[in-house]
Amino acid sequence: MNTDNHGFKKHLLRHETVLLLVVAVEWFYFNSVGPRFGSLDNSFDILRHSVEIGLLALVMTPIILTGGIDLSVGSLLGLCAITFGKLWRDAGLPIPVAAGCTLVIGALAGGLNATLITKLRLPPLIVTLGTFSLFRGLAEAITRGADTFTNFPAAFLFLGQERWLGIPAQAPLFMIVAVAVWLLVHRTTLGRSFRAIGFAPEGARYAGLPVERRIAMVYVLAGVVAALAAIIYTARLGQAKADAGTGYELFAITAVVLGGTSIFGGIGSVHGTLLGVAAIAILNNGLVHARQPREVAGMLTGLLLILALSSSVVPKMLASLRARRQISSANIHQTKPA
Amino acid sequence: MKRYFRELSVAAALLVVLLALAIFVPAFFQPQPLLSLLTREAPTLVVACGMALVIICRQIDISVGSQFAVCCVCAGLLAAEGLPLPVVFAASVGIGALLGALNGALVAGLRLPSIVVTLATMVTLREGLRWKRQGQFVNLPDGLQWFGLDQVAGQWTLITTALVILIALAFAMKHLAAGRFVYAVGTDAEAARLAGIRPQLTTFYVFVFMGALVGLAAMMNVVQSPQVDPKSGTGLELKTIAAVVVGGVAISGGRGILWGVFAGLLLLACISPALTHLRVEAYWEKAIQGAIILLAVVADGLRSRKEKQ
Repeated sequence: MNTDNHGFKKHLLRHETVLLLVVAVEWFYFNSVGPRFGSLDNSFDILRHSVEIGLLALVMTPIILTGGIDLSVGSLLGLCAITFGKLWRDAGLPIPVAAGCTLVIGALAGGLNATLITKLRLPPLIVTLGTFSLFRGLAEAITRGADTFTNFPAAFLFLGQERWLGIPAQAPLFMIVAVAVWLLVHRTTLGRSFRAIGFAPEGARYAGLPVERRIAMVYVLAGVVAALAAIIYTARLGQAKADAGTGYELFAITAVVLGGTSIFGGIGSVHGTLLGVAAIAILNNGLVHARQPREVAGMLTGLLLILALSSSVVPKMLASLRARRQISSANIHQTKPA
Repeated sequence: MKRYFRELSVAAALLVVLLALAIFVPAFFQPQPLLSLLTREAPTLVVACGMALVIICRQIDISVGSQFAVCCVCAGLLAAEGLPLPVVFAASVGIGALLGALNGALVAGLRLPSIVVTLATMVTLREGLRWKRQGQFVNLPDGLQWFGLDQVAGQWTLITTALVILIALAFAMKHLAAGRFVYAVGTDAEAARLAGIRPQLTTFYVFVFMGALVGLAAMMNVVQSPQVDPKSGTGLELKTIAAVVVGGVAISGGRGILWGVFAGLLLLACISPALTHLRVEAYWEKAIQGAIILLAVVADGLRSRKEKQ
């Protein structure tokens, strides 16, 4: 058990070191291709653009740790951006109140996922596939597919477009959430229970963990943070449209899996996820500097996800194949005398 | 009777909707628009049959929309090159089967979760297609539309094709060993393995078959218009998954029949024109589709909870 734990820790370390190396190689490659890529301005640009996906990836980590998945975060971002714009412009609420209400809506939407998954014991994939369609559809229905919210006050746009103490204004918010999620997953009993549930839900139940409450918690957390991401997204672009955040769930899941979290649950780390986000953000930005069309970035992200998934599974499968062959040959030797 | 309660309730709901349409919107039953509606849904039915197999096998495939678009554009380009129709047809089915084999190899060979694998292939194929084609339409040569027949004959050909596939698959799933394998693997892969079935191989073939059906459906879509839209098939995965879960196929695998899927698809197909007549705006369609998926799985969840108690 002890050596096993040690080996597992070493594996994690190795995975994250490799990923760090990948990020560094990406950085140097794009630096040599695009002349402006390495500048401080562009580095802040990368940070600015990766905040929303980073937030989604951060809260996707505990979900995948419990063995679940949330496909609806991108759609929820769109819905929250729309309701935020609607509350501010049409209901006439001041920005902070509208933002607070949006966070509540995010929590409610996450609560819908959580209720269906835990109370009715439905698989997360079909529930969040349904809400993926529902949330995006609601956003389209509210705006009738055309309405866009713009002309936000400058004080609000500061959050998304200006600098505060020399760094992008949304970066401190992102760091707070990152530290909070890191502490939650790595330094609390709650984080341990997420892993326990991901390893074996039945085992966790017999160990006395409130499995349903813990699972509900990660989905509600995802809803709240998706709403926060929607507000930051709106501030960065200066507009809220129904298609905000389309496809972000893929980026978030890719970042988490790339960061070494097992898609089957139980294993993973938040700092790995952050490295995964960095790898994707640098790739996206670097491809623009290398004058590649936007579609290539999406395509490569999909391929990256497949590669990351297979790279974690293939060595294990080869090892188990070898073990099986050894066992079967040993069996043959044993049965021969009888 | 009790065994097929779920399917019968869908059929009853379909009858109610049709009756309501007959009373309030008699215009719905004019032969020409109805025929057009059924023709439009024929490719969807073929894909939904494949999706039912995948879900019965306890997997899911959300890349069908992108596969569909790739097959449509490839078939269109080959036809524009002047290749004869049967060759284009075979190529479309072959490309679909290849794309399905890719999913199948990743899911069955590497034992990765199908939802994540097909999410990745969905985006990769869609973005790759957009990159290669830049949203260009493909103009088809004359004589391809409706297989060179007149429109009504072409429409009947497509509807008949879809129905023949439905009936053949419904028969195969009930009476052929291969069909029972799919149910066995979806119910309990380990038990199936102990009974001498190779679950991973079955899963692989189900994905290949799904791809081939998508290729066929793409061909059925291409012949309906003089151009190929590179965005065709967007949202097809949600539409077919909705039809399958509404039709009573259990999302946890191993349960459901294709006739239920047929009823589910018809029900969904009728809802959209019914909403138009109720003056609900078209923007609500996606939200309603999501709500229907959720309602169907909630109904199943409640039922299975009651059965356990």
